[in-house]
Amino acid sequence: MNRLTAALAAMLTLGCALLAVVPSAEAEIVVTDVEGRRVTLAAPAQRVLLGFYYEDFLAIVGPGAMDRVVAISRAPWKDWRPMQYRAYAAAIPRIEALADVGSLDAGSFAVEAAVAARPDVAILAAWQFKGLGPAVATLEAAGVPVVVVDYNAQTVERHVASTLVIGKVMGAEARAERLAAAYRAAVEDTTARVERADGGRPRVYVELGQKGPAEYGNSYGNGMWAGVIALAGGDNIAAGQVASWGPLSPEYVLASQPEVVLITGSEWLNAPDGVLMGFGIEQGLTRERLAGYPGRPGWQDLPAVAGGQVHALYHGGTRTLYDYVYLRYLAKVLHPAAFADVDPAAELKAYYARNLPIAAEGTFMLRLAARP
Amino acid sequence: MTTAALLGGYRRDERRRAILLAAACLLLAGICAVDLATGPSAMPLAEALRALAAGPEGADRTLAAILWQIRLPTTLMGVLVGASLGVAGLQMQTILDNPLASPFTLGFSAAAGFGAALAIMFGAALPVAGWLLAPAAAFVTTLAAAGLVYIVARLRGSGPEVLVLGGIAVLFLFQALQLLLQYMASPEVLQQIVFWLFGSLLKANWTSIAVLAAIMAAVLPVLARDVWQLTALRLGEAHARSLGVAVTGLRRRVLLCVALLTAGAVAFVGTIGFVGLAAPHAARALAGEDQRVLMPLAALVGAIMLVGASVLAKTLSPGAVLPVGIVTAIIGVPMLFALVLRRGAGERS
Repeated sequence: MNRLTAALAAMLTLGCALLAVVPSAEAEIVVTDVEGRRVTLAAPAQRVLLGFYYEDFLAIVGPGAMDRVVAISRAPWKDWRPMQYRAYAAAIPRIEALADVGSLDAGSFAVEAAVAARPDVAILAAWQFKGLGPAVATLEAAGVPVVVVDYNAQTVERHVASTLVIGKVMGAEARAERLAAAYRAAVEDTTARVERADGGRPRVYVELGQKGPAEYGNSYGNGMWAGVIALAGGDNIAAGQVASWGPLSPEYVLASQPEVVLITGSEWLNAPDGVLMGFGIEQGLTRERLAGYPGRPGWQDLPAVAGGQVHALYHGGTRTLYDYVYLRYLAKVLHPAAFADVDPAAELKAYYARNLPIAAEGTFMLRLAARP
Repeated sequence: MTTAALLGGYRRDERRRAILLAAACLLLAGICAVDLATGPSAMPLAEALRALAAGPEGADRTLAAILWQIRLPTTLMGVLVGASLGVAGLQMQTILDNPLASPFTLGFSAAAGFGAALAIMFGAALPVAGWLLAPAAAFVTTLAAAGLVYIVARLRGSGPEVLVLGGIAVLFLFQALQLLLQYMASPEVLQQIVFWLFGSLLKANWTSIAVLAAIMAAVLPVLARDVWQLTALRLGEAHARSLGVAVTGLRRRVLLCVALLTAGAVAFVGTIGFVGLAAPHAARALAGEDQRVLMPLAALVGAIMLVGASVLAKTLSPGAVLPVGIVTAIIGVPMLFALVLRRGAGERS
């Protein structure tokens, strides 16, 4: 009997304690994330679980951003952009020490690890939110509100909304508004210049340069680079041929006679012939790997090769707050007169200098000089 | 029945088989011509023939490149791979005495996939040209799998049960290893591995054609010497032994031949599996069990199936590349069903 009373009393006390920690309505932050979910936070987050978009988070929150992160999903950063990860980890040693909640792709995303880090908010990419499914409810039931952002959609609206959401959650509204406005202005300026430009829509062929020249890699018929080409005023030869991505037939590429060829490179660790680009990659290496492409059977007579319009672009250059620099690079390639006063490489450097803790040192965009 | 009548029947049969082989050759030549004439650049047949006749150094460099560097290697590779898999599948079915057998039965495709995945993931460290690495690794691991099965056969006799059980063990071993690599791979690498497994004739080039042709030139005479023994083996092991066939040695020898043919075929184009299962059955339904006719016919049917699938893939999707391995399986399934239904009807009556 005595024991029962004690237990009841304990439960009552616990109940009251729980009620007490529910914050009063006045101090709350209410955000509507890109999925249209209303999320309530007690105060700007001080302990963040960061799923993806590490650079954008750093840019929006500004100095000390990583000090407010307690856990990340490490693989999408360290494995997908290894050199970028290394550069940031060197500048901010705390990154290496952060708890890892695992990666959705490897099926190792552990809700337990996420809860154990005691975050007061989880900022996840839309693809992570969809992939996690019911695990999101588990996270929220454990007291971790989930906020969804999305730069993968590559629309100005989602970019701006995502930026403002992160700004609000972190109490960094001023920086968020400045960055969102700058992004919108840069894209609008680009499309306006493209509209004013004359000279039609040059045919563009884009290929993922991971496999090297010996084998045709993926091209993009929809989304990713296809979106960038359309916005920059190019005629993508893969449109209508591959649904989202997939290799084009070599003969189709020859028959389409592209006027501009884009090979996208990245920091692949195991692509012996791949076009390497990104942080810490010397221009010479990128050029050397790119130089094999014009030697493909039949390519020497392509308008793009004959006209010296073979370019390499950083594959990680879509889906960030500064992806407009790659849009502007391509737009300048397609409509040089309309962008005579635009220097995309300098814009990239300026973005890093103003918003991020490291400098953009490496190779992100270049043109292969025409062969003599 | 008189001797003359028997002899007459045999002669008629021989004539029918010769006509069958000739017809298959003609059909293959026709399909190859169609394959060479179709492509996304939609050049007329006459122009394609002119470019072909002009040689690889023809005046129109784009046309020469399309015909000689893109279309011709793909077509020839389709013929060689289809023929290799047809013969390899037939002999696998013969030595295992099992209609379900194919070149990939004993874990060879899993081994090839593991080799390719290994090369795709870790190959960068080796001083070998990237495009050669995956084929070389797939070739080596396929032979390693065959070697494991061969060792089992040496230790415990080469009866079909021993070979199949040993092969299944090898299959699971390499499948597990391949899955482990896929688990460890980053998404971009994973996609590369998966695409390799689909199988595609686009990886064909003159080097791969030379390698595969050399393997066939080495292996086919060995198999040709054994045609009578292999035909006898189809009567059952006891019958074959009573006819004086050294069954154990024959099985081991043929196993190595099948391994070489399969390794060469999958190394360059990935695991195009279905041809090796369906082509021998189709050939057997047409020509019966006499290996003198059955073996060349299995090769021809395999080549026809694969080149036909390549034509179909090009027609369905001119711009993008539809993996021929998938197309082969899809058009091969109705064919196999038809064979099964026909045979089933025959057995009932």
